[in-house]
Amino acid sequence: MKKALIIVAALTLAPTFAAAESFEKAYLKARAMYGQGAVFEWQGNQYVATHEEESEANVDATEANAQMMIDKAKAKNKEVAALGFEWKLTGDILKKAEAAKADGDYRKALDLAAQAKYHARIGIQQYHYAQSNWQLSVPE
Amino acid sequence: MKIIKMMTLSLGVVLATQMTQAADSGFTLATVNPEADRTALQNYFKKRFPESEVQDYVNGIYAVDADSRAQWEEIEEFPPYEFAVEEGEELFNTPFANGKGYADCFENGGVGIRQNFPYWSKEEGTVKTLEMEINECREANGEQPLKWGKGEIAKVSAYMAWTSRDQVFDVKIPEGDTAAMAAYLDGKKFFYAKRGQLNLSCANCHVQGTNIRIRADLPSPQLGHVSHFPVFRSKWGDLGTLHRRYSGCHKDSRSKPLKPQTETFRNLEYFQTYMSNGLVVNGPGARK
Repeated sequence: MKKALIIVAALTLAPTFAAAESFEKAYLKARAMYGQGAVFEWQGNQYVATHEEESEANVDATEANAQMMIDKAKAKNKEVAALGFEWKLTGDILKKAEAAKADGDYRKALDLAAQAKYHARIGIQQYHYAQSNWQLSVPE
Repeated sequence: MKIIKMMTLSLGVVLATQMTQAADSGFTLATVNPEADRTALQNYFKKRFPESEVQDYVNGIYAVDADSRAQWEEIEEFPPYEFAVEEGEELFNTPFANGKGYADCFENGGVGIRQNFPYWSKEEGTVKTLEMEINECREANGEQPLKWGKGEIAKVSAYMAWTSRDQVFDVKIPEGDTAAMAAYLDGKKFFYAKRGQLNLSCANCHVQGTNIRIRADLPSPQLGHVSHFPVFRSKWGDLGTLHRRYSGCHKDSRSKPLKPQTETFRNLEYFQTYMSNGLVVNGPGARK
């Protein structure tokens, strides 16, 4: 009986401890403290705190690559807009990315499009979080 | 085997408790209870600001912050919305090209009816707001609809609110009408869901954040939010509708704002007005 209760307690508390040491938390902490490209350790391995969009934009600065990144960002932003969670600045960032591409500044276009896609991706995460957590601040 | 049984039983109890708590809390169509929500909100503010009278929440932040109230009372000596009410009255009484007017579209000639809005229209299956019906009235009489946020629509609405001062809000959710309840729940969910780049919900500022500084501003309490609209904001320098303010709030959280009078904003107004049931109309109001 005693053993069983200890196991149950361990199982119940395990997600709490696991959450405290999650990869996401370690990643976000490194990113917040040291910025893009920060190297951090998690469970004995080393990782780099780079957003997936930054990795995507880390390609040759060509017109085709810039256009591809802009297209991806637009598609992602359309997705978040359909959920009603589009962010305010994303549309303008996309316009600036297109302007940079038109001016031949493909590196700038790639970076701006990556930023816009990141906004859209996090907006989608925010939507999903809201679906299951919106009630947390309702007075009862 | 005995241990496994015990673990299964214990985990079952833990999960069942969590599920029971969630199911009893009014977050689904099956459990939502608007009256319980309203009472809980009032109790929340009574506890936060025990010195403030519930009826005074129609005055927004001025119900809970004495310094702001003193400034506002001075502004109210020469109300900045006064001319707009007069212009609204003139617009309201100016006949359309076909000879009819706003008074022909509304119950009681459009006088003293602000407290009945918004309401659930069973026939149309949607929430109807006062501004929506002002424009419907125009279109039904061959006139162009007005822009939603400011200008003439705000003035006409302000005049109608003025004629309704001290009338008590009593927004109803028709019993057994699932679609009406879904609209209420949608508004409630919108109010409490975090959104935008700043990851803020309406509630973060207007429930938990009430009277806590955001830079130089003190967010108002959600209780009584709708009572004083349309509102003359010093920041705008003119009169604006509730949905104009919704768009502004939405932008403040760095969300791309919805258009005024979209279904989501009307549902939000339905929820917010229900929360203020029992309070009086005191529009138009003056705010910073």
